[in-house]
Amino acid sequence: MAVSLIVNGERMASSADPMTPLVDVLREDFHLTGAKPVCREGFCGACMVLLDGAPALSCLMPLALAEHCEIRTVEGLSSGGTLTPIQTALEAHDAVQCGMCFPGMVVSLTHVLATTPSPTRDDIRMALTGNICRCTGYERIVEAALSAVAK
Amino acid sequence: MTAGTRMSDVSATMDFRRRDARDKLMGRTRYTIDRYLPGMLHAAVLRASVPAGRIVRLDTAKAARMPGVRAIVTAADAPGTIGIGIADHPLFARDLIRYNGEPLAAVAADTLIQAHAALAAIEVEIEPLSPVLTMAEAIAPDARLVHPDWHDYEILLAGGAREGNVAWEASVVRGDVDAAFARPDVVIVDSNFRVGRQNHVAFEPRAVVASYEDGRFHIETSTQVPWTIRNATARLLGIPASQVRVTVPPVGGGFGLKFDIAIEPFAALLARASGRPVRLVNSREEEMLTCLFRENAEIRIRSAVTQAGEIVGREAVVLMDCGAYGGEQIFLTTMTAHTLGGNYRLGSVRLVSRAIYTNTAPNGAFRACNGVYNTFALERHTDEIAARIGMDPLAFRSRNVLGDGALGATGQRFDGDVLGPMLDRMNTMRPATATSRERNDGRLYGRATTVGTWFVFVGPSAATVNMNADGTATLVTSGVEIGSGSMMQALPQIVAATLGIAPDNVIVRTADTDAAGYDVGVGGGRTTVSLGAASLQAAQEVRKKLLKVASEMLEAAPEDLVMQNGRIEIAGAPGSGRSVAEVASHAQAKEGPVSATGAFTGRGVPAMPGCVAGHFIDAIDIPVFAVHDCEVAVDRDTGHVEVLSYKVVQDVGRALNPRAIRGQIQGGVVQGLGYALHEEVTIGADGSVRQAGFETYRVPLALDVVPVEISLYEGAPSMGPLGTKGAGEVPILNVGATIACAVANATGKRVQELPLTPPRVLELILGRKPALAFPHIADAWADNLVRPHGQP
Repeated sequence: MAVSLIVNGERMASSADPMTPLVDVLREDFHLTGAKPVCREGFCGACMVLLDGAPALSCLMPLALAEHCEIRTVEGLSSGGTLTPIQTALEAHDAVQCGMCFPGMVVSLTHVLATTPSPTRDDIRMALTGNICRCTGYERIVEAALSAVAK
Repeated sequence: MTAGTRMSDVSATMDFRRRDARDKLMGRTRYTIDRYLPGMLHAAVLRASVPAGRIVRLDTAKAARMPGVRAIVTAADAPGTIGIGIADHPLFARDLIRYNGEPLAAVAADTLIQAHAALAAIEVEIEPLSPVLTMAEAIAPDARLVHPDWHDYEILLAGGAREGNVAWEASVVRGDVDAAFARPDVVIVDSNFRVGRQNHVAFEPRAVVASYEDGRFHIETSTQVPWTIRNATARLLGIPASQVRVTVPPVGGGFGLKFDIAIEPFAALLARASGRPVRLVNSREEEMLTCLFRENAEIRIRSAVTQAGEIVGREAVVLMDCGAYGGEQIFLTTMTAHTLGGNYRLGSVRLVSRAIYTNTAPNGAFRACNGVYNTFALERHTDEIAARIGMDPLAFRSRNVLGDGALGATGQRFDGDVLGPMLDRMNTMRPATATSRERNDGRLYGRATTVGTWFVFVGPSAATVNMNADGTATLVTSGVEIGSGSMMQALPQIVAATLGIAPDNVIVRTADTDAAGYDVGVGGGRTTVSLGAASLQAAQEVRKKLLKVASEMLEAAPEDLVMQNGRIEIAGAPGSGRSVAEVASHAQAKEGPVSATGAFTGRGVPAMPGCVAGHFIDAIDIPVFAVHDCEVAVDRDTGHVEVLSYKVVQDVGRALNPRAIRGQIQGGVVQGLGYALHEEVTIGADGSVRQAGFETYRVPLALDVVPVEISLYEGAPSMGPLGTKGAGEVPILNVGATIACAVANATGKRVQELPLTPPRVLELILGRKPALAFPHIADAWADNLVRPHGQP
């Protein structure tokens, strides 16, 4: 019995076991490898996607629970190779290092910028506590987000 | 410099953006874990669940008949052994199990679930042995040997003393230390320190996709060391190294974790056995439990110091836990001479650094390996000395830091005054933030300034620059982009500046051992220096060839030509010349395509004869210095340490991309804060690492960190290309030291251990922490050696 879901605006179906973590369905069935299964325990945030508009950890979400949901992965945030404002800011601030956490970072920041009217530095740091980065020491990510707010 | 020898007409310095950021931000970058090949099998590794034992029976017959199983490999398939200094490490446990998690067999199946089911069906019978879990146990006189056959192992580098559970011993003796300690005018300061392990937590686990085609292995892997993978795989499998090709997709974090071979040979063997591509990716739990950690260490350091603050004698014993196999720690015994023996002028010195076998997971390399804890020990010891003789710790440092002509521990002579002016610069930065002492919230406030000595791990590198007829250049090396940006920024900047083209027009070929020459690997701060030097040499050769062709085309002497803005022109006459593309295509048509290769290796700065024994590097070619400063507040009730400010003055030689270096410093300092404050690894009674995931291993989060105030110190001597030094490795070097000294300053207590978790700090504040004692370290320095220094 295939599970149907909407991924980046397209209706898609997966015949994977209903308990399969959504992150594996996205990556292996739909070839959307942006979301990274780093900890598989919900701590690191690298697999974050927007589920009906809210950030969700796709490693902890069984496929069946995502049925008919609208899922947006990092690949679906930008269109035609044009970066979104937060992606532009992160690139301009030379914030990226190894890059593994950035799919989740971008999803989290996209959400906070869309839902918080004028986020402060602390709002952004708070919003990032569910996204771990091992390379950058966070500062540039925060700075980039603040500059995206200012624009 | 005369015009004739000019090798560049434009500066290589710029805040050039990295070309890989866009795809990384859009989720398009395909790391090794994102590679799925048609027909690919999934592999899994059976690991021992006891720390020590004898394998009585290992039967894979039943597992081989399980659904979807395509291949199973065991110790019989991998006859070789590898190691650094000594070949002590087989791919699979053979007769003896030496750590909990040691590989026993590997399976490839159609799905990962099938592979795991097959692992469960492998029948294993193990006779448990009593494990040796700590270094104290391991060097006890009656200890069970982790390697009963240690004496028969193949020696890869002569000179290290070894015996029983002492895998390797390196020593340094310079001057008459006994005489110094016997002087009537000195005080003796004696300090003990202990640190735990640190896990890299690279976000991309170790991962590999291997295939076997036309009699050769192709290994695509997440590594920092493609040539090590090639050579070590060949050794383990007992095949010629030329049968292994290694390519490296973008790497999702390394930090030294991927500076050694990992799971590549399992996938290679399974690919050959099955005839299909095989994917093997460590689970996060496997990453946590078999991480090649920064090693736990125990340090005893004693100094004889005059009341005026002169260090006339110093001696130390450093025990480094290598885990079940020697690995990187064998090499790292060398580093104690340059880290614990660094920073200060010493009248006389003797140091011994011992890598000790235990029945625990093997340790490895981690950013500023060895330096991080030795700097912690040295700087805390320095504060204890200053307190003892009643001198201001900063004044003591300024008086004693290495300067021009100073002798290092191994007798090398340092060039230039670097640490002194760096301390002066830190002094000018310090008042910029108000002191926090006036805060009146009941917390204890403290601050500290420390110094650190690190080095650039030079060594062989090769590069080829192919000049394309369209005016772009292709840079071919075995360098890997692990996140630091060196391959994306520094290297194309160096080539571009030499050729007067835009750095975007330098194509950087990803690492492929079939395409580029030998390279030691990306680590030790060596990318910009070693690969940079090879790239610079290749680019300069291309430049000469292009100028020669252009001089014929333009009827002007080569020394009158300049290369800038993608053009070759007569100096002072813009518009007079031709584009680089025109010259390159003219050359291609007339003489054939323009290309050149470059090669680099360390110069080998001399040490003083007789000073070192068992060392891999006698002296450091490129020293790198750092000065750190921080302020902390310590909660008396909870033991929580808050970092209020953090400042860094870092010796970078010359900053080619200042913005990228600042990014490395912020990231490195934060990784160091984790080490200093809350990243803790403990070993259970079953020999396994207790921290199996992110829940129990606490890395820094966005709310934990402060913006680091950074000053790049330029101009110190360096043999690196364009005066550069490595900048990405060193930022973590003195973070543990600085936090520890600041917490000691805040609490008035003797900080002897890291990490400073709240329970540990609370014990200190409450006076419930007994002074650290090492009964297994002998009082008389020489009694700690398995072989007297200097004896063959």
